[in-house]
Amino acid sequence: MRRWPRIAAWCVAALAVAGAAVGSAVVYFGWYDVSATGPHTMPVYALLDVASTRSVKLRSADIKVPDLDSPQRIRRGDALYRAHCAQCHGGPGQAPEPYALGLNPPPPPLVTSARERPAAEVFWIIRQGIKMTGMPAWQYRMTDEQIWDVVGYLRVLPTLSAQQYRDAAPSGDPASGAAPASIAPTEARPSGVRAGDRRVGEMGAGEMGVANMPAGDVRVGDVRAGDMRLGDAKAGRDALQQYLCVTCHAIPGVPGARHYVGPSLDGMADRSRIAGVVPNSPDSMQQWLMDPQRIKPGTAMPALGLREQDARDIAAFLQTLSNVE
Amino acid sequence: MRLIARPPLILLGAAALSLLAACGDERPPLAQNLSADALPSTANAARGRQLVSKHGCLACHAVPTVRGPASAVGPPLDNLGRQAYLTGLLPNTPANLVRWLMDPPAINPRTAMPNVGLSQAEAQDIAAFLLSLPKGQEAQ
Repeated sequence: MRRWPRIAAWCVAALAVAGAAVGSAVVYFGWYDVSATGPHTMPVYALLDVASTRSVKLRSADIKVPDLDSPQRIRRGDALYRAHCAQCHGGPGQAPEPYALGLNPPPPPLVTSARERPAAEVFWIIRQGIKMTGMPAWQYRMTDEQIWDVVGYLRVLPTLSAQQYRDAAPSGDPASGAAPASIAPTEARPSGVRAGDRRVGEMGAGEMGVANMPAGDVRVGDVRAGDMRLGDAKAGRDALQQYLCVTCHAIPGVPGARHYVGPSLDGMADRSRIAGVVPNSPDSMQQWLMDPQRIKPGTAMPALGLREQDARDIAAFLQTLSNVE
Repeated sequence: MRLIARPPLILLGAAALSLLAACGDERPPLAQNLSADALPSTANAARGRQLVSKHGCLACHAVPTVRGPASAVGPPLDNLGRQAYLTGLLPNTPANLVRWLMDPPAINPRTAMPNVGLSQAEAQDIAAFLLSLPKGQEAQ
């Protein structure tokens, strides 16, 4: 009876030593997968997510928010956003650059950040960056006033349709900083979508990928029709991590897919239409994924440069998302 | 027994403290006027819930808290308040939601969603209901 504390202590110590040994082995022998294509497991993702959310909240608690609504501030923020943020975060209807698609964690669309996070947290994240995420610190490259300009613009961003975002772009060089036409926070009027005016959408998905990829890495054209295989749901589940699907759609069973920019994909196989406009079949899903703007001009979903096989695989994966027993 | 009972108590205390700290100052999100509060004060979520059954929304959409056939023609409407865009074309603001509900084909002529002939007041009630839905379960 009196010996049990000692036995318990030894057991705890032995367990701790064994745990440390296993941990060291995992690290030393390289068993932990650091590749960007290997998604986090659910527990690791949840742990990192909570740690980063709480850390940002704690550190931004004392930041005083200036007036964010002045039109000049929003105009300056618009230019800065297009020059420094849209490359990785994209915009309404605009895909990020190819190098950003493969980031892990994926860069979130900033409409979600603006809808969820307080101004002070957004300011802090832009200023300080976040370790190991690809989000750089802008503190040494922008003044605090400029960072607030970006925050002011992010407040307006959720009220812009894809069409308005495109129309407000300064013509020519997006980084020129020219004053955009009109980005007052008005209600959307997307009914004026002109068929001939699809600067982003008119490029086919394939062309887009080829045009933007380094010359040595063009694989789109290499795949002949005969080399294609049937859609593979498991390959599709891996591929959708590489096209930022998870940053906009809630997808059951996929770590990090908990955002609601577009509708949840839960039960997608049971749905009779894609985007409300075309009947849901694997073929039309494949076409939709490769070029959403062609099927539904003006949609906020951008063409993400999917290769045909990836689109086929992802369509096959979406076919597995059924709630009908 | 007391030795064993103490650590969980300490843990509970720590959890309670961190919860308190979390509740301390909730700041509003950066983007504003996107919740049901931005609708006219006449909009009534309870009335909206009844209108959802009456106008047959359930024939195409799964709507939490409203019982009916399990249908998946359109997307489920839980988490509609968190969604950034409506039908991919409109920013999801309360005013846009009302416009969309009143006449979907006017916004997207090819949409499968019909105009069910809602008055503006009815559409505001339904918008108030949809935007006040409890958050659905996170996708697991």
